[in-house]
Amino acid sequence: MNKTISINLAGIVFNIDEHAYRILDKYLSTISGYFSEADGKKEIMADIESRIAEMFQERMGKARTVVSEDDVNHVIQLMGQPEDFLGDEATEPEKTEEGFESTSSKRLFRDPDDRLVGGVCSGIAHYFGIDPLIIRILFIVAVIFFGTGFLLYLILWAVIPKAITAADKLQMKGRAVTVDNIKKRVQKEADDLKKR
Amino acid sequence: MNIENTKAQMRKGILEFCILSILHQKEAYPSEIIEDLKGAKLIIVEGTLYPLLTRLKNAGLLSYRWEESSSGPPRKYYKLTELGKKFSSDLETTWGELKEAVNKVQKKSSTKK
Repeated sequence: MNKTISINLAGIVFNIDEHAYRILDKYLSTISGYFSEADGKKEIMADIESRIAEMFQERMGKARTVVSEDDVNHVIQLMGQPEDFLGDEATEPEKTEEGFESTSSKRLFRDPDDRLVGGVCSGIAHYFGIDPLIIRILFIVAVIFFGTGFLLYLILWAVIPKAITAADKLQMKGRAVTVDNIKKRVQKEADDLKKR
Repeated sequence: MNIENTKAQMRKGILEFCILSILHQKEAYPSEIIEDLKGAKLIIVEGTLYPLLTRLKNAGLLSYRWEESSSGPPRKYYKLTELGKKFSSDLETTWGELKEAVNKVQKKSSTKK
């Protein structure tokens, strides 16, 4: 026995198996991620959904009432993966040296993986894309000569959040939080753990 | 050099021209266009077509109208605009020239052998 979910595709209601729903939902959001509003994303998605609805109806006939995993996989096979059907039209997300996609929106976090005290310096260094050593030296100079550096460090330590999740760590380094990047990040952490 | 990549590049350039050619002959909805293209082995997955159609439409080469379907959601019937017709004819001429050029080059190299 399986739960079903009721969905609206191009104005037609389908009952879809829960597992099949998850596959379809992931597929559609993957495609949608490849287009920008300027490409006419809404329209392309509506066209694709409408075609999927048509294919579901053809496959279901009159006897069946629930869209199964097989139906969804069949439709995805015919429709193809976005990498297959976009080629170089897809604005390939920029890759950085480690193979992560980059983004312009960076956030300030404390880096728990590369810290001497609270990870404040390395966090700031990530934010500006420079070597943490430079920030550390600046802080040490500020502590020795002005005395305010110590207080400043404590304040920053309290104010800046620690990068805890894989998504935080990607944002800290200015990389896009995509499923793909998170997967790579988690993989990298697992590899690091093994090496230890 | 990757042969699959070269093939894909060639196919892609010709694909737009073929879509315009099909629509030059008749008004059609995406599934029909896909059938024709699949028959000619120009398209492998259906998803290729939708962004292309939207792009051609936004460029003012295509227009569409909705038609109710007895078996599913309403369909978009595409046809060429005046601009699209001119574009398609121009491409037709270019294609003729290219075909001839390729033939000539191939013949020349085969007589040399």
